[in-house]
Amino acid sequence: MITFEGAAKLYPDGTVAVDDLNLTVETGQTTVFVGPSGSGKTTSLRMVNRMVEPTRGTVLIDGEDVRRRDPAALRRSIGYVIQQAGLFPHRTVRDNIATVPLLLGWGRARARARATELMELVGLEPSQARRYPHQLSGGQQQRVGVARALAADPPVLLMDEPFSAVDPVVRAGLQDELLRLQQELRKTIVFVTHDIDEAVRLGDRIAVFRPGGRLAQYDSPERLLAEPCDAFVESFVGYDRGVRRLSFFPARELSLREDVVFEDATGADRAAEALRGENEPWALVVSADRLPLGWAAAAQLDRAPAGTALGALDLAPYGHTFDVATDSLRAALDAAVLSPAGRAVGVDTDGRVVGVVSQEDLGTALWSVTT
Amino acid sequence: MEILNDLFAWFADPAQWTGSSGIPARMGEHVYYSLLGLLWSAAIAIPLGLLTGHTGVGGFLTASLANLARALPTIGVLFLIVLAAGIGLVPVLCALVALAVPPILVNTHEGVRGVEPRLRDAAFGMGMRGHQVLLRLELPVAVPLILLGARTAAVQVVATATIAAYVGVGGLGRYIVDGQARQDLTMMLAGSLLVVLLAVLTTLLFAGLRRLLVAPGLRAEAAAVR
Repeated sequence: MITFEGAAKLYPDGTVAVDDLNLTVETGQTTVFVGPSGSGKTTSLRMVNRMVEPTRGTVLIDGEDVRRRDPAALRRSIGYVIQQAGLFPHRTVRDNIATVPLLLGWGRARARARATELMELVGLEPSQARRYPHQLSGGQQQRVGVARALAADPPVLLMDEPFSAVDPVVRAGLQDELLRLQQELRKTIVFVTHDIDEAVRLGDRIAVFRPGGRLAQYDSPERLLAEPCDAFVESFVGYDRGVRRLSFFPARELSLREDVVFEDATGADRAAEALRGENEPWALVVSADRLPLGWAAAAQLDRAPAGTALGALDLAPYGHTFDVATDSLRAALDAAVLSPAGRAVGVDTDGRVVGVVSQEDLGTALWSVTT
Repeated sequence: MEILNDLFAWFADPAQWTGSSGIPARMGEHVYYSLLGLLWSAAIAIPLGLLTGHTGVGGFLTASLANLARALPTIGVLFLIVLAAGIGLVPVLCALVALAVPPILVNTHEGVRGVEPRLRDAAFGMGMRGHQVLLRLELPVAVPLILLGARTAAVQVVATATIAAYVGVGGLGRYIVDGQARQDLTMMLAGSLLVVLLAVLTTLLFAGLRRLLVAPGLRAEAAAVR
């Protein structure tokens, strides 16, 4: 547990970097500090490992004032990941990772063995152990940065905009990897970013900082999106917070229709009749093992010559699907919006169709869960 | 063309290759003075440059002193110290050190200053102490630049060690000084050629040192800087 008690940082020229911060970071959780530049989020993070000393107030780790610890010893007990990794260019990947164990006097053999272990943990090939940082891509460098921070198995991890310098696809991969690692390791992570999407994705708790170094709101991501406490937080969180909030509601609670799903061997006339009965404009055609094939419009079925099977028709693409068991309402809504039929196809983990849901039905479901 | 024949004859004369005033002996003296001058310079300039670079204190003073030293005429330094300390090796070494310290000092200082701030931040943030940051990060990263400064210094020292002859302690400068006195152009030219040869060998030596001392991870980056 990390506690900020009235922590403030003022510079001699009168700049206030952090103004009276009171906040508790829970053990084993990821807490994200988010805010525009100049809001004091990085300064606050750096108070934890004494890279910045507060002008007023204290920072405590598990009840102990960090200023009572020797700075170097304190920092060796805290993992530190920075933007663009900050790897030592003259050391191999393995020796970069072994830095803190060597500082702690582990001995070269043990430190290197540990480094090799960590490379595997963060998804690096063992063949990269002897490479130098400049031979790696930005994403790989950042993985090394994370491995280096974890090398001495510190209970606390400070991450200062670690993924901001890589492209969006690589960033998403790194975020997934961090979530997976955190599942496994349960570290106390303080993560700084200016990207609210990253904050919502990674954080168990989010602290929004406003310019002038003041804490604006400290909440769970879900509550932050649902109830921003003022106009600043609301605008920072973004105009589409309503849609993004749907990420927190599972799709499995949707009721899916199965009566408009037909196998490709079914006759077009039978499907047309079923649609008329339900007053439905679209039929989803699936294969014998229930993999989706495409949409057939009611008008198309009516025009088809007698005895035509659904599989022989020219079908509209089914777009992308959502996984009923694991995806959120946001994914379902997205699939429905992108579908030519205005309907989303729900599948199980093997990709087999469970049922479909229309935009209208989704609207009703959203109304019921979000109010 | 005649001068080439004379030169050839000069080098072919067996008398040039033996005794205390033969080419091997003069070459040995020259290399010895150069090496001594360079080692003293490195011993002064590298620690000082590391210190000013690491602490950031005295950077301006260092640069100013180095520029001042560069403006000193080497011969002037030599005779000034001869007046103070008498004939011998000391004035030669002082003159060579005054010549060689500035490039090494400035490059060491700049090499350490040039380490990216985020690397220094990472080093301190992982719990390195000041001297560990200096020895495990700043020094190795600065090595390519330090070597570059030392190479410049070494070539200058080898060329300038000829002044040792003025104060009677030998070296390849003897051929030039004696040749001048005797109006023997061939001898002067032969002496100069030997100095040039030594300077080229020095450059090659530093190419070898670079392979030995610069971490492989830095070679690609350093090549881009050069």
